[in-house]
Amino acid sequence: MKAPILKNGSYLIASLQAELTDTDLLELQDALVEQVGQFRSRGVILDVTTLDVMDSFATRTLRNIAQAVGLRGAEAVIVGIRPEVALAMVQLGLDLRLSGVQTTLDLEEALAILDHRSQGADRRG
Amino acid sequence: MNGDRKPGAEWPLMQEMGITEREIAKRQAFLEFGDEDMRKLAGVDELAQTYADPIIEAFYQHLLSFEEARAFFPNAELVERVKRAQKAYFRRLTQGQYDQAYIEDRLKIGAVHERIGLPVNLYLGMYTFYLRAVAAHFFKAYKDAPERALEAYLSLMKVVFLDIGLAIDTYIYHREQLIRQQQEAMRELPTPVLQVRDRLLILPIVGALESHRARQLTEQLLNSISTTRAKVAILDITGVPIVDSKVANHLLQTVSAARLMGATVILTGLSPSIAQALVALGVDLSPVKTTVDLQSGLEEAERLLGYRLSPVGGETAPM
Amino acid sequence: MPFSIIEAKGLTAVADEVCVRIQSDSDIVLARQQARNLAKELGFSASDLVVIATALSELARNIVQYARCGEIILSRVEHGSRRGFVIIARDQGPGIADIEQAMQDGYSTGGGLGLGLPGTRRLMDEFEITSSVGQGTTVRTTKWVR
Repeated sequence: MKAPILKNGSYLIASLQAELTDTDLLELQDALVEQVGQFRSRGVILDVTTLDVMDSFATRTLRNIAQAVGLRGAEAVIVGIRPEVALAMVQLGLDLRLSGVQTTLDLEEALAILDHRSQGADRRG
Repeated sequence: MNGDRKPGAEWPLMQEMGITEREIAKRQAFLEFGDEDMRKLAGVDELAQTYADPIIEAFYQHLLSFEEARAFFPNAELVERVKRAQKAYFRRLTQGQYDQAYIEDRLKIGAVHERIGLPVNLYLGMYTFYLRAVAAHFFKAYKDAPERALEAYLSLMKVVFLDIGLAIDTYIYHREQLIRQQQEAMRELPTPVLQVRDRLLILPIVGALESHRARQLTEQLLNSISTTRAKVAILDITGVPIVDSKVANHLLQTVSAARLMGATVILTGLSPSIAQALVALGVDLSPVKTTVDLQSGLEEAERLLGYRLSPVGGETAPM
Repeated sequence: MPFSIIEAKGLTAVADEVCVRIQSDSDIVLARQQARNLAKELGFSASDLVVIATALSELARNIVQYARCGEIILSRVEHGSRRGFVIIARDQGPGIADIEQAMQDGYSTGGGLGLGLPGTRRLMDEFEITSSVGQGTTVRTTKWVR
């Protein structure tokens, strides 16, 4: 499978590359949903820093991943949308598809958000 | 003949200023300048050739007696060059063939005077001097047939006014060009991006936000968020006079794109009139955080970033 | 400046044109990269390159999803002093029954299937679509260098 998934404590980090085909993305979705269950992950970081295009399929799949892993107890965060990509997405109306999914600029920020959420969950739980 | 075809490259000034053959014909018609006039002018051409030089010499003597005018002719060479051109110019008035070459030549002379910065009133004053001097010559030469003198004089006046029209055109055209260049320069001015705190950017926008500048602004903002890892950006539009629906939509897009990059944009400085205009246009700015002024925007930004300001010692120091 | 001639899987170049056969989703990626590389030569801004690649991705995917096979022709156009990039996406698929409806903006509700056409039209400067049931679809769209 093309997109590597790293395990970082209770988080999974998936790096998406520009050469990923639609099929690769769907495989990634399956793998993440499975691994979240397997490792009881609390968070899934989707790193799109190297993506130079985010079209409707990619956006839809990312949203589906977020929803699916959400159902299995993990929060998804999308990291590293480039300025030009962000603008094209907004012009296409794709940002609306991602409303409700956390987006950050870098990994550090994503981990901070996930840690914050986990703490909150621990305190409540 | 295709009267409104744009003049070709042989008449660069006419082409540049957009003065077509049809335009010239219109002006001549308005001045009622026609074949009859041309005949009368041809009739006084010989006479005109004799007095053109002395009149021009007298004119420049008059002009250069004024300090204000002397400033525009810093050296003798320039004076001689301009005098030569003027003599040829005034001789040309009565030589017939008021064609494209004639017009182009007139525009050229106007352009030269405009370029050296000669005020319009001085340039036009030249024509008055010339007409008064010529009138005297005409009436002297035709003292037994004053009607002939008057007729020739009136025809001459028509062609002179055609020329004055062209001279004013060159002045206006070059002023407008200057204005265009300045506007272009202003358009290219980038909006400053100020980093006032870690993760906080302020962009004070001044001047009209038309699509080119708005696009530039968006690029700058998004790139700055990327390079400075900003989490909050304040867009202050106090200095923007008009925000129409196009610009508003552009701002909305910018805010959404920034959100995708994990940054919150706060819009400050929306004047009451702009706010009302946007409501009337049906633009929905609710997805955007707005505050009434920069100060409250800053406070909101600091709140978002988790800053809390408290004075040292609990009290403001005495000034 | 003619486009370079490319000899690779599924690509043929004729003078100023590049033609990419679209049959599978890896062709979508290939076409996208091609478009980006070629458009770059024209001097588009980074933003506009993304826009072109995105539009192309949408059009290529439509071919794969609805027609299973088709082609994309990339070329350059010049109009006076303006330079532009042209994408022609052509297939012999089932065609679109109601073009009007396909061009309706369904994105505000999000989640809809959609063919990505209204979005593509918004992104590009010029957009033309011809389609009839049983005869396939051709989309021709252009972006001008600003």
